Amino acid sequence: MAEKRLRIALAGNANVGKSVIFNYLTGLHQHIGNWPGKTVEKAEGTLHFKGYTIDIIDLPGIYSLSTYSIEEQISRRYIAVEKPDVVINVVDASVLERNLYFTLQLMELGAPLVLALNQIDIAKRKGIEIDVEKLEKLLGIPVVPTVAIKGIGIFKLLERAVEVAEKRETSKIVVKFGKEVEDKIAKLVKMLEGIRYWYPPRYVAIKLLEGDEEIEKEMEQLNPEVVATAKKISKEIEKLHGHICSTVITAERYEIAGRIAREVQKLVSPIKPRFEERLHNLTTHKIAGYVIMVFSLLAIFYSIFTVGGYFSDFLNELFYTTEPLFYNFLGAGTVGKLAWSMMEGVIAGITIVLPYIVPFYIILYFLEDSGYLSRIAFLMDNIMHKIGLHGKAFIPLILGYGCNVPACLGCRIMETERERLLAVFVTTLVPCAARTVIILGLVGKYLGIEYALALYIFDLAIIFILGRLAFKVLPGEPTALIMEMHDYRWPHLKTVLKQTWFRLLEFIKIAFPLIILGSFAIKLIEVSGLLELVASALSPITVTWLGLPLITGITLIFGVLRKELTLIMLATLLGTTNFAEVPGFGPIQMVVFTIVTMFYIPCISTIAALIKEIGWKKAILITIFEVIFAITIGGIAYRILILTFK
Amino acid sequence: MSKRKIPLTALKAGETATVVSIDAVFGRGRGRRWGRWGFEKRLMDMGLTPGTKVTVVKSAPFHGPIEILVRGSRLALGRGVAERILVEVEE
Repeated sequence: MAEKRLRIALAGNANVGKSVIFNYLTGLHQHIGNWPGKTVEKAEGTLHFKGYTIDIIDLPGIYSLSTYSIEEQISRRYIAVEKPDVVINVVDASVLERNLYFTLQLMELGAPLVLALNQIDIAKRKGIEIDVEKLEKLLGIPVVPTVAIKGIGIFKLLERAVEVAEKRETSKIVVKFGKEVEDKIAKLVKMLEGIRYWYPPRYVAIKLLEGDEEIEKEMEQLNPEVVATAKKISKEIEKLHGHICSTVITAERYEIAGRIAREVQKLVSPIKPRFEERLHNLTTHKIAGYVIMVFSLLAIFYSIFTVGGYFSDFLNELFYTTEPLFYNFLGAGTVGKLAWSMMEGVIAGITIVLPYIVPFYIILYFLEDSGYLSRIAFLMDNIMHKIGLHGKAFIPLILGYGCNVPACLGCRIMETERERLLAVFVTTLVPCAARTVIILGLVGKYLGIEYALALYIFDLAIIFILGRLAFKVLPGEPTALIMEMHDYRWPHLKTVLKQTWFRLLEFIKIAFPLIILGSFAIKLIEVSGLLELVASALSPITVTWLGLPLITGITLIFGVLRKELTLIMLATLLGTTNFAEVPGFGPIQMVVFTIVTMFYIPCISTIAALIKEIGWKKAILITIFEVIFAITIGGIAYRILILTFK
Repeated sequence: MSKRKIPLTALKAGETATVVSIDAVFGRGRGRRWGRWGFEKRLMDMGLTPGTKVTVVKSAPFHGPIEILVRGSRLALGRGVAERILVEVEE
């Protein structure tokens, strides 16, 4: 018997419980990767139901199906081109109007639909009751009430979805705009007859009127006449209404959504200030809000880095006890050393990944799902704007002080690619714990804490300047905060844990080979006796330009693996931990060395995180930029310091 | 009953007004076509279409974003965004 396969796509606004349903359906049979050629996350999974093998794909959470963001483009393309057998539209029953606006667009796209009316429990507590049958009738599609976090309605949802998928049944109802707009749509649809294109004619007509760039561009190839007519018509509508055509259509669509919502929902009990409401007011309060935020962040920071630090040290020691084993079996010669270097890479990976990234991911998803993240963004937006980012970037940035790796991974919460790029870039400049070790252990110890502090401030200034610069240089829209603050709710723990687990796997896949290879390569240089050679090759930069001792070239190379290694290697190579005694390594050199270490390259794990979040090309670009930047600024600092202090 | 057109940011906490239009032209030569379209479209997609009622709940300190209620949901808008939304108040 041939295998019966079905494909189901989950679509809907952000924060409506889509991922909870996804996790419910797929359990541990899921895979998280990226959309081909994009840095947008793609979550897929499988399940078996009624003799079918069902592939489930979780589309990104979006509010519309236009070209505002890559997520929207990906979603509509997937629905139109890959044609899933059914699309489950997850909607938040407590904010029905906004969610139906998206449903209407899915209907325009002609997708076979089932509506999951999620969070009906929350809606009920808000005093909203929904007439499910009436909603089914008005939309012409099955509607299943669900409470995803309790698993209520999921089975029925799946049953209905399979029924629709078997028949590939689309709604018989065409939601009509006003007569005037409908006439224009009809005219365009007629012109589109006979043109083979993946989007249905009615959808194309609407999008052309809305001035959708992607569709305009593609239709230009197929039939430039339609595009020209559409442009003319939309100008007419614009003149008539005094708003651009896309606004007219959007407004009408929202009116329809509003009308349907009003028809099916009944406000039962008066809305009293609920607990969620009070919590919202408190956490966004102009004084209390900041106090709560500071305490929460301190608690998060403290718990990640003390607990993480403890486990990191523990694991480190545990794994290093295997060192003699390697040398016993493979000998203390080249083979043993090389093998051990790879093990060291693994250890580096494990001691960073497990203790820091796991709690960070869990906390980040917890903050996001509960709704607190958006409140912090609200409070911090103005300050973050100074470096061209919006409020959401605050959390990753702050956590960058502990470790850049999870911080870069956390930049995923930024909505557009541009914002994400800006956020990761700024994050890699934040002095992490390892860099703090160097600042304190070198400058702080030998020159005094005030100099260490000055370097910290210098770093902040650099972050500020480079952030603004990148903001100016990067093409695209200026960052603007347009963010929904959904009601507070208790996050679904299982979903949070699964999200953590599958993203962790994804990171390990990228990071571990890189870390292991890196540490192997450096060991290879070391055992083959080429270190001196490399140091000499770097001497024009290290000695001539930066005024540092020759040996620092070697330590800087090791620092690529982990930044604190620059200091450790310096001690090893110099044979002393009292750096003040080293000739040619005075206060000026210490400062220059620290500045270079602060900026010169994101460590190899951070580079891996960059690759995961923004792709190879941009990750390499940022790395190269930072190397050049660090060398330049180090050299300048050297010259200024020489002039001032001599 | 007179009506006046003011930016959304001019409303006091607790006041309700009707959206009239969005001034979507970015100043300082940043008026890229796509950008402009995207910005306005995004606000529309969030439900801030002309004729919609919005209530300002509060604004974040230090000239931060403002919190509004629109179509039954709660939105945070950066001040720069909110300044471009023109509303009409009935007096």
